[in-house]
Amino acid sequence: MNQEEQLKVLEGLHTLETIAETLKITKQAALNLLTKLKKQQYVTVQGGGRTKRLYKITQYKQLPRDEGMFDIINKYSPNFKINPWYDHQVHGIYGPEEALIDALQTNSFRLILASLRLFNHIKNWQKLYKLAKQDHCWQKVAALYDVARLFLKVRTMPKKYSNLKIEKRWVQLTQLKKINFPDIAQKWKVYIPFNKNDIKEIQ
Amino acid sequence: MINQKDQQDLFKLISANIKQDIECFALGGTAMMFYGYKDETKDVDLIFQNEEQREIFIEALKKLGYQETSPITIYIAEKLKDPNKPLMFKRGESRFDLFVKKVFQTILNPRMKEDIFAIHQFKTKHTFTIKVLKTEFIVLLKAVTERDKDFEDILTIVKKDKMFDWNYFLDEVLWQTQHGDGWVLLDVEKMMQELKKYVFIEEKYFKKLYQKEK
Repeated sequence: MNQEEQLKVLEGLHTLETIAETLKITKQAALNLLTKLKKQQYVTVQGGGRTKRLYKITQYKQLPRDEGMFDIINKYSPNFKINPWYDHQVHGIYGPEEALIDALQTNSFRLILASLRLFNHIKNWQKLYKLAKQDHCWQKVAALYDVARLFLKVRTMPKKYSNLKIEKRWVQLTQLKKINFPDIAQKWKVYIPFNKNDIKEIQ
Repeated sequence: MINQKDQQDLFKLISANIKQDIECFALGGTAMMFYGYKDETKDVDLIFQNEEQREIFIEALKKLGYQETSPITIYIAEKLKDPNKPLMFKRGESRFDLFVKKVFQTILNPRMKEDIFAIHQFKTKHTFTIKVLKTEFIVLLKAVTERDKDFEDILTIVKKDKMFDWNYFLDEVLWQTQHGDGWVLLDVEKMMQELKKYVFIEEKYFKKLYQKEK
């Protein structure tokens, strides 16, 4: 059996034993094969130590990744994970500030809801403001911040950013034109699609 | 030939040399490298949404020492007559094939733009965004470009992508035909007949294709 066929047969999650059993080889031979495939980037390992090692084998190379929007949001949202619908990677500087702005561009209810958690990790408000200005979405950022601080632990936004003039036009975060949290919605002229129960899911 | 690491480094360099943020779509060998299906590629195929963005990209390429080259030895004669043939730039072993809006007669349509596999953003001075097309579109565009090794790449994709959706692929072929692509049906039929020698393709997909031909 050549390597291409081996990968085809093995594709998926395995333990050392299941690899040996599938290929009808000894454990030592399976270990040698795994070492070779790992070097070629066809295998990644999960677990080890007290937990059983699991080998993820694919027919394509599992290339090292740079973090993107979904990675950052999932990292800071422990109870509410997003299943990425495309692979987003940024090769360069990328942090919670950029991820928040990118999340707003998607208009996705779940993604924007999960991004509320990012307000506890914003270190550079000036950068966030600059990025939001470029995308004309400071209104949305400020409204989300006000909602987030009602339920979640957030870093304090400098006062100079919290009282800025905004456009008079109402804007939508998602396709839903709901006005939850009417005071905040009115202040920033932003339709807020999620309610208290939605936010409880991410707490 | 250009490998995965060289490609990433090159894109980073380009992002440092462009004068404003630009966005394009990766097809061909470049896209396959993002998938991990290929270790190296002869040419970097990119398609832009407008001429202005391609010009900005070309400016950056020229700064990096790339020079325009002729597509004569690369594409077949029929394709060379097409006004939507690519502009090509070469430096040493690496080459860029740059399209705008269309790959010959095949249109970069809204479905291709929305239904993508990955977004890679290279950020330095400006942001160079590359959107990687889905495998079905890569196969379609490889079928219409008909260059050396295009068939080999198609075979690799179809073998490795367990989720390859023939119905989705054929719907796209129909869409392109309805929107003026006179070659796509012939190119795809030829490709599928050849592919049949190596992988199993259900007869119903050929029937679907022939129905479209009628």
